[in-house]
Amino acid sequence: MKAAAETVEKEEVYVWGWGAGTEGQIGMEIMEDQHSPQPLDISRAIAAQTHDDSNIDDEVAATTSSAPSLLPCSSSENPTHSVFVSFLACGGAHTIALTNTGKVLTWGRGTHGQLGHGHPTSCWKPRILKILSNFVISCVSAGWNHSGFLTDGGCLLTCGDGSFGQLGHGNYQSLFSPTEVSFFAAKYIKKIAFGMRHSLVLVKGPSGTSVYSFGSGRRGQLGIHLEGTSRLFSLPQFIFALENETIDDIFCNGDHSAALSIYGELYLWGRDFNSKINYNLPLKLPTHLKFLQVALGWNHALVLTDNGELFMIGGNHHGKLCALNEVGKNQEATASPWQHANLNDDSFSSLKRISAPDWEKIVHIGAGSEHSALVTESGVIMTWGWGEHGQLGLGNINDQTIPQVVSLNQMKTCTVKVHCGSGFTFALKIH
Amino acid sequence: MSYDDVEIEDMEWNEEIQAFTYPCPCGDLFQITKEDLQLGEEIARCPSCSLYITVIYNLEDFDRSNEGKGVEPASSHPISVA
Repeated sequence: MKAAAETVEKEEVYVWGWGAGTEGQIGMEIMEDQHSPQPLDISRAIAAQTHDDSNIDDEVAATTSSAPSLLPCSSSENPTHSVFVSFLACGGAHTIALTNTGKVLTWGRGTHGQLGHGHPTSCWKPRILKILSNFVISCVSAGWNHSGFLTDGGCLLTCGDGSFGQLGHGNYQSLFSPTEVSFFAAKYIKKIAFGMRHSLVLVKGPSGTSVYSFGSGRRGQLGIHLEGTSRLFSLPQFIFALENETIDDIFCNGDHSAALSIYGELYLWGRDFNSKINYNLPLKLPTHLKFLQVALGWNHALVLTDNGELFMIGGNHHGKLCALNEVGKNQEATASPWQHANLNDDSFSSLKRISAPDWEKIVHIGAGSEHSALVTESGVIMTWGWGEHGQLGLGNINDQTIPQVVSLNQMKTCTVKVHCGSGFTFALKIH
Repeated sequence: MSYDDVEIEDMEWNEEIQAFTYPCPCGDLFQITKEDLQLGEEIARCPSCSLYITVIYNLEDFDRSNEGKGVEPASSHPISVA
């Protein structure tokens, strides 16, 4: 993510979306579920809106109190033909697209101001967030109904639902425009990750990394000692348990949180996968595997190793939701991943290996609330899990327990990434 | 079967649709009205998909005879409207 803007410059990108579409979250003109990949011409939207200021009358330029930490974009914008999407953050029902030039577009549900356009309205059409036009954005994240934008100067702006303190401004107000989180004014933020009702921030300082959390801690997702009765924290809390670790990346979804160290060690906290247990403090997964990528769902986690091997943690009902609905089976008891702390890698039964055909290496992963996506080394996209809204992109609404190939014109030479929202999916092709 | 068991304290009161809600994995919201709760209903359904959750609550808290005594879930945040 961090290097995306540099590596894809001068290449063309195609975006395809599918799945739940009734809130406009997949950016299609027809606000309906799409069961197969649909092309999304964001380049055209960028070109059309770059010189059209008519739709931003109600927007004012974002201002911050700590101007020195923000690096305004140079006055001359790049030609629109070379502007393309390099990353997508997908929330409950909204999407944030980041371009190679550090610009942002948003669309989908906007009922809490999560689109950042200054009002709580939804929008099916990818729309440039002109309020951030003075900034170069380097990282974006989408929670259930809140959004975060990180400038290349390491400054965080948030907007959307603040009912649980998840915007980090010290109150429980919702904000319709991106607003700087003043707590981090003197700090350099490297990465942000937003979940259902909480947020994580990774700060890089001269003496190492620090992870902060804010929002709801009802399920342990803030990674802090909980004293008294308060479970909502509207100001960032330092996660002491990660104080001595050098964290490289952070992840959130649902009531789960995760962090990866620079050595590929995985820390998990929050609600357990498939059980009622809450883990208030980060726990290191007891394995010698080295992880490179993590994707969290609401009841499962996908973890990709440095060897291109993919494992799933939890996910007992992954791809079985509709079937369970129909037959009314009882929920199976599941072992927590941490109950196997004394076992070695071979018998680490709660890490379930997920393989692509011919054991091909897997290079990218994505997780929605109840569905999963992977990209193989040769650029093949596969999906599995819950399919009721077409979020698997297989042309139907069936669930799948094992990865299935998505029919998208496969181009061997391109780089493909997958990004999942709660009930929808995007594929990003760079070739 | 129920997708999840959710305590009423974790649900939000939505003024617009006059119901307690909780996020559904499809992107929409599980919903249950105060009237349903008063009748002892414990299933909150999502209008957009087949999933439903079981709401954990004390029936006495929603008993009509207790109305006006200020019994509300702790995290019932009002939805901001512009």
